[in-house]
Amino acid sequence: MANVQLVILLTSVALVVIGLYSAIFIDNIIKKIIGISFIEEGVNLFIVAIGYKAGGVVPILMPGMDTSWFASNAAYPLPFGLVLTSIVIGASTLAVMLALVMVLYRRYGTLSTKVMLADTSKKEEYDE
Amino acid sequence: MNELIPLMVIVPLMAALLISAFSKFNTVTKIFAFVVAICLPIIPLLSNYGLHYFGGYEPMINDAVKMMYHPAITYSFTFLQQIFIGAVGLLTFLVIFIYLTKYRKVSGPYLFLLFLGTAAVTAMILTDDIFHMFVFFEILALAQVGIVAASSIDYSYEMALKYMVLGSIGSPMMLLGIGFLLALTGSVNVTDIAAAVHNGLVDATSPVFLLSLALIFFGWLYASGLPPFHTIKSGIYSKAEPHGAALLQSFTVISMISIVLIMFRIYASLPIFEVLIVFFSILAMILGVSLALTQTDFRRMIGFLAVGELGFIGLGIGLGTNFSITAGLFQALNEIVITALLFIGFGAIVNATNEVDTRKLGGLLAYHPKVAIMLLIGGLAMAGVPPLSGFQSKLMLVQASLSCGFPEISILAIMVSIATFVVFVKTYYTMFLKPKPNDLELEGKDVPRAMIFAMGVLLIIVILLGIFPDVVTNGISNFVGGIL
Amino acid sequence: MLEIILCIVIILSAILALIQKDLLKAAILTGIAGASVAVLFQVLLAPDVALTQAIVEGAIIPIFIALAVKKTQRSDG
Repeated sequence: MANVQLVILLTSVALVVIGLYSAIFIDNIIKKIIGISFIEEGVNLFIVAIGYKAGGVVPILMPGMDTSWFASNAAYPLPFGLVLTSIVIGASTLAVMLALVMVLYRRYGTLSTKVMLADTSKKEEYDE
Repeated sequence: MNELIPLMVIVPLMAALLISAFSKFNTVTKIFAFVVAICLPIIPLLSNYGLHYFGGYEPMINDAVKMMYHPAITYSFTFLQQIFIGAVGLLTFLVIFIYLTKYRKVSGPYLFLLFLGTAAVTAMILTDDIFHMFVFFEILALAQVGIVAASSIDYSYEMALKYMVLGSIGSPMMLLGIGFLLALTGSVNVTDIAAAVHNGLVDATSPVFLLSLALIFFGWLYASGLPPFHTIKSGIYSKAEPHGAALLQSFTVISMISIVLIMFRIYASLPIFEVLIVFFSILAMILGVSLALTQTDFRRMIGFLAVGELGFIGLGIGLGTNFSITAGLFQALNEIVITALLFIGFGAIVNATNEVDTRKLGGLLAYHPKVAIMLLIGGLAMAGVPPLSGFQSKLMLVQASLSCGFPEISILAIMVSIATFVVFVKTYYTMFLKPKPNDLELEGKDVPRAMIFAMGVLLIIVILLGIFPDVVTNGISNFVGGIL
Repeated sequence: MLEIILCIVIILSAILALIQKDLLKAAILTGIAGASVAVLFQVLLAPDVALTQAIVEGAIIPIFIALAVKKTQRSDG
């Protein structure tokens, strides 16, 4: 039985690194956004892994459970609550970004960030 | 009346939701938005100081380690929060007043964004819970992006998307930092974390603790637009409508001080923390002013100057004494008022001329004398000319850095002030005093009265704060004594 | 054992999503990664988070991306 927490921490680090790489170096804006969603997923995974307790139980108090046994065996639920909020925030940010991309695609006809998000002062000179 | 503390967030939030839901009733929406906007600066004035525990969960004593811990999200309301929430509430009122008088048909989503941003910064400065602050930090980022994208200026969508992509890299980093703190202390309440650090429950030199500082610091740099984010920050100011930009900069200043105060309470024992803040602040001061000098678009120029002024706030907080932090926070209050005045004033000029290039303007003094005089006083206040409010806070900063034993920093601060003065006077000269170019048409265009009114209100605050700084600084100094 | 397989699936589908030429396939691979993360949350004793994650990252986000791809262009050019 491998150490679950360690494996998951490594996965979350890998997800953050993959996401950062794509958000910085990939030219296609949709892939950049997918990369950003991987960063958020990695961070969420990390925070959930903080609350995990090896051999513990789900932190929901069922009827008939002994309270002190529950307190010493349940996983720590605070990080789970935080991640719930964070998932929803990530989804809404992503939706706004995709909406902006759709508007900008209509103007430029390409998904390349080099064209779409070029320095605006240069663009203004080009227009003139 | 402690019940008013959560209402400071709930009122603008509910107003935002109601307005966006019922925006098809134009007149009702207008009246409702106006009434709520008037309430915003009044609620913090009526409320008592104190703490509010959401859900009524009082703090408990942990018997094992003899320490208090806070199970509920806590809002703490003191003089500092009162003055800043009052300032941003007043500014929101003025901006909404300008917006409502400018357009016959108001846009519900735009009002929604303005109120949402106000609610978010109010919650950020009130909260004592680092994750709660992060949530409203994200909401604030969305509101800022919306305000930029809603403007009719060219390339505003591009700027909004760019800001958003950078933000989506910055804010998960901050969340990761919060996650490290949570892993170390098991709590997200700032008071609990600070107590754990000061009582030695957390090893303050452990790499995880330092890494959490680095990650939250990165998020702070993004939120406050210090280098390397100064270009994008001044960019979003210049792409928003002028009254929107006036509000955006106040959001930036308040999110900056609320995050830095939380970081200060947790990390003040680390010497590297103060060095980092001072380093980035000085970088922001120098880069902001020198980039402002090269701009021909005056909105962009004010944007860079605003970033430079943020450096002064960071400098005061980075020096770390009671007097310097007071000076930094007082500077933050002044910057909110003065920069808003400048954005609205230059926005009035854009409104009257449809021109943002200083090279194509000139001779506006004869056409818009009121705007010209109020802008001049605002610019002088920003540069730190006595007896205006900018002078008082910059004098305090210079004194603070001298008494900390850093005469170099005080000389630098004075030089940056002089450079700010030069940048402002140069732009002012080309816009207002230089003879009018022949191809500039000015006939038949007037400055909206609401803008003049808003500038007048802000100008009165600038002059009053300049003459009676003690009203504010004594209270801030008491607050700072509480967190040191 | 389950968690190791899931981790490998997550990382592989993340990398595959980013080297894919067809953006629609990238969107589907994002959904696979999100759904695997949801199962991992269940392994990590967080069933409530797992439910949210399965709906949001496993279904809503791929659909958002697929809609954006449909409105723009399908190939990464």
